[in-house]
Amino acid sequence: MRRAVTFVALAALAWAAWDTGADPIRLVRGLPWLLDFVRRMLPPDLGVLPSALAGAVTTVEIALLGTAAAAILALPLGFLSARNVAAPPVFYPARAALNFFRSVDTLVYALVFVAAVGLGPFPGVLAVVAYTTTSLAKLYSEAIEGIERGPVDAITATGATRLQILRYGVLPQVLPLFLSYVLYRLETNIRAATVLGFVGAGGIGFYLQTYLRMIDYPAASTVLLVTVLMVMAVDFVSSRLRDRLL
Amino acid sequence: MIEVLGLRVVLPPTTVALDGVDLAIRAGEFVVILGPSGAGKTTFLRTLNRLVEPTAGTVRVAGRRVTGASPAELRAVRRQVGVIFQQFNLVRRLCAVDNVLTGRLGYVAPLASVIGRFPERDRALARDCLGQVGLGHLADRRADTLSGGEQQRVAIARTLAQSPAVILADEPTASLDPALTDSIMETLRRINVERGLTLVVSQHQLPTALAYATRIVGFRRGRVVFDGPPSAVTPPVVESIYGAGATP
Repeated sequence: MRRAVTFVALAALAWAAWDTGADPIRLVRGLPWLLDFVRRMLPPDLGVLPSALAGAVTTVEIALLGTAAAAILALPLGFLSARNVAAPPVFYPARAALNFFRSVDTLVYALVFVAAVGLGPFPGVLAVVAYTTTSLAKLYSEAIEGIERGPVDAITATGATRLQILRYGVLPQVLPLFLSYVLYRLETNIRAATVLGFVGAGGIGFYLQTYLRMIDYPAASTVLLVTVLMVMAVDFVSSRLRDRLL
Repeated sequence: MIEVLGLRVVLPPTTVALDGVDLAIRAGEFVVILGPSGAGKTTFLRTLNRLVEPTAGTVRVAGRRVTGASPAELRAVRRQVGVIFQQFNLVRRLCAVDNVLTGRLGYVAPLASVIGRFPERDRALARDCLGQVGLGHLADRRADTLSGGEQQRVAIARTLAQSPAVILADEPTASLDPALTDSIMETLRRINVERGLTLVVSQHQLPTALAYATRIVGFRRGRVVFDGPPSAVTPPVVESIYGAGATP
């Protein structure tokens, strides 16, 4: 059995390598071009720094606004798709819907929303909201399923309504986890938002794509540098906040 | 005050936790439930306010039906029944007085309470209840920073804030340092005597049970095998509850 699995796995990988034309020799042959590419990017053209920074600000705005809206929209969905809170007729459709919408990436949502509302940062925000809402709802529901039963029993025993039980028996247990998931999503959304500009959904990606198309590599490298620094800065702040929470 | 008839609880898949319990408890009694672990003590207490759903039988508390009650009726009768748990079951991240305040949830406007608004007289009552268990000075401490004994006192204050007719306590001292057993049981007795509240307490320590109860009910394998005053608990009775040769 074990041998059969190993054999099938190896065969699948070999076929995939052949089918994708994966060839180490080709990579080695390409190395000089890679170095040439890097050389042509240097030194960075700092003249485009103002527009790169403006793009970075837009990207952070897209991620912040989209994550914040999703954090709130995901709350009801998270409770509805938690096995220990929602009744089966609600739970199963909610879970299925989450899994369906979560399997589409932010970038694909961006294409859809650009078509719907036009170019600019706004469809980017909508794309972040669409993906993050479902992924956070899934994380929320798992946190809810992991709570201690005791405080819920105690609040139930006071004669509280369902909503009161959620508010006082469940929410205090899961809120720190929820906030930590939101910050984690913010970090990944900053990264996702850097490429939203490629499909016309605003932010720093628009500048990167434009300069690459114009074959202005020094300008593109400035944009890349700003992107890296922006991501690192947001990661730093966010992980500090998360450490405080737990 | 509590009327139980033909109570049967089968826990999925086939565990018979209670096997036909009939029991009537009068107002003001201090009933201690004895029995080995697995005898059905916890299940019995939890069926009295339907934290566990009975399979058959009827339960009435304070003149209201518990079995067969609509959701609204059930909430109304639950308000009348304070519960003290072995593991205290406080909301860890709330401070002591806010935990006590949750005892008022059955009385206040539901939506206002969800956004954290409680009438001033309920807040005053919560502080008062905390003072009655001797913890007025710890009102603002987060529950998870309190000792076990303090947490159980906060839990008692929470049930007092419910203005209940009955208090159920499931092994209230089993998770505590033995030295604290008497102070917790003494607090419960004071509530029983001063407020005239009916208490139903499960206890695994026989001497403690005999010292505080006005009536002992012995459970074994989901049935009541003894019901009488502490003075009637003789060695053969103990044996009938815990089994031959067993020491509780």
